[in-house]
Amino acid sequence: MLLNFDRLGGWKWVLLGITAMTSAFLILPIFFIAALSFGSSQWLIFPPPGWTLKWYAMFFADPRWLEAAGTSFYIAAIVTVLSVLIGLVTSFGLVRGRFIGKEGLRALFLTPMILPVVVLAVALYAFFLRVGLNGTVTGFVIAHLVVALPFSILSITNALEGFDKSIEDAAVLCGASPLEAKIRVTLPSISHGLFSAAVFSFLTSWDEVVLAIFMASPTLQTLPVKIWATLRQDLTPVIAAASTLLIVVTIALMLLVALLRKGLKS
Amino acid sequence: MSQPFLQIQALRKDYGIVTAVQEVNLTVERGEFMTFLGPSGSGKSTTLYILAGFENPTAGDILLDGRSLISTPSHKRNIGMVFQRYTLFPHLSVGENIAFPLKVRRLGKAEIDAKVARMLKLVRLEGFEDRKPAQMSGGQQQRVALARALAYDPPVLLMDEPLSALDKKLREEIQHEIRRIHQETEVTILYVTHDQEEALRLSDRIAVFSRGVIDQIGTGPELYANPATRFVAEFVGDSDFVGCRIVAAQGGRADIAIGSSAIRGVPLHGPGAAGGTAALMLRPERLSLTRGAGAQGGANLAATVTDITFLGSNIHVAAAAETGEALSVRLPFGHEAASRISRGDAITLGFDPASAHVFVAS
Repeated sequence: MLLNFDRLGGWKWVLLGITAMTSAFLILPIFFIAALSFGSSQWLIFPPPGWTLKWYAMFFADPRWLEAAGTSFYIAAIVTVLSVLIGLVTSFGLVRGRFIGKEGLRALFLTPMILPVVVLAVALYAFFLRVGLNGTVTGFVIAHLVVALPFSILSITNALEGFDKSIEDAAVLCGASPLEAKIRVTLPSISHGLFSAAVFSFLTSWDEVVLAIFMASPTLQTLPVKIWATLRQDLTPVIAAASTLLIVVTIALMLLVALLRKGLKS
Repeated sequence: MSQPFLQIQALRKDYGIVTAVQEVNLTVERGEFMTFLGPSGSGKSTTLYILAGFENPTAGDILLDGRSLISTPSHKRNIGMVFQRYTLFPHLSVGENIAFPLKVRRLGKAEIDAKVARMLKLVRLEGFEDRKPAQMSGGQQQRVALARALAYDPPVLLMDEPLSALDKKLREEIQHEIRRIHQETEVTILYVTHDQEEALRLSDRIAVFSRGVIDQIGTGPELYANPATRFVAEFVGDSDFVGCRIVAAQGGRADIAIGSSAIRGVPLHGPGAAGGTAALMLRPERLSLTRGAGAQGGANLAATVTDITFLGSNIHVAAAAETGEALSVRLPFGHEAASRISRGDAITLGFDPASAHVFVAS
């Protein structure tokens, strides 16, 4: 290998230092939020003068917070199911189909990843005003689906491209109809891609705030919108508690993906 | 009169302006081991894929027991197939893989278990039923694939270069297994390969594919002794070609002249007429070698030694004919003349005119 870590000598410590600082840069904000959520100071003093679970108690005692978390979960769940289903059908078309403009179409499906979200939000808001979808679950789902689908399509097309179609052909010659072969052989073989698609779709919707602010109504809010709205009114450590919970769900799902990947490899 | 088991009639496949299969006609007997031999792009795999139903022919028909297969979808053809790549279902165990076609056919559990056990025994992988494909070697995976393809007693088994991903030693071992399994099951096998040795080792008959048509169909010895075209001569066995002039042609035989040599009565293939040019085919193992120039009578060619290679049981002598073409001679180790020649020596190569062939480019 060109760069052997053990043979770097003094540079080894420089590299370690840079790595440590990068990690700290990425992780410290999360760490501070988590620390503050357990701190006893109402004014978010750091380091906390004492430790308490009071803010979590307040979070779980307030039906508005719970309702927002429930809404987030509900919307993210619907987005996940639809995103994986649509992503699956789309991926089959993109990977297996033979038609002109396939590559262009693939690029088009990924544009929401690079398009400024706020532009998308304004456009959707304007459109939903006409059709009366603002402040509805349907509106939320459609908006989040737009940003979740690229992740889903990317994961599933990758998995499907890595799957040898001869295996599906073998199942067909074994007597399975083309649909049966896909359900019994192809889908289980690309399950890691489907799972990644599901997790990323869920997370995309779960912590999305820009579109959600546009789609939200006083009666229909997701957790990030509720955090944002509360933050503008008063600074309470309950926000830190809510943020920490938001992050915990995200980290738990990422861990699940990592564990599953490791399990697949071994 | 009994009708032929499998008939391929005037099969043609075009992809846009490219013709993959031009015209293939073939009759296969029940229980026969038929190999499609040819280079890549010769149409052998496409023909197999049409048989499997993965491709639709542009024209022509395939009859199995007198009934056309063309309109039957792949999954209802009841044909077995082993692919070039490993196609075991990765999420299923070996036993479940073999059981898959039986479960699809909704057989009872007891029947499935008995059949799976029998198939594992057939491919000599008893005790492997709980392994996952990823835990097995390539050779074992292909044997499981063979068991899966035979589990539902298909009348025809297609094999598309199933051993090309394996190393030479393992390949020979599995060729042996395939032969044994063919004899035990009496299934009709259509086997695609570009490896002449594999074709010769396995097949009852070989169909040599070239540019979308079958050049010749025959047993290995037939193809070796009587190649119908120059392509077959080149593809089956080793061969060298020397340009020659036709002196006279009559009744499928030709008298030819090469440099100072005149050779009479060589089997002629193609539209040859006196005065035309052609190519004389010689097999390295059927040439005799004597030192010095100027041999007497019979079919002889003067040549010069360019190289001598010792290959264990064989000695390979490379020579240049008078006309400059490269020829090779294979002699057994210890051959008297071969041990006394060296590079640059003049030699005379003799052969039986009846065992040589003259090909005229058509």
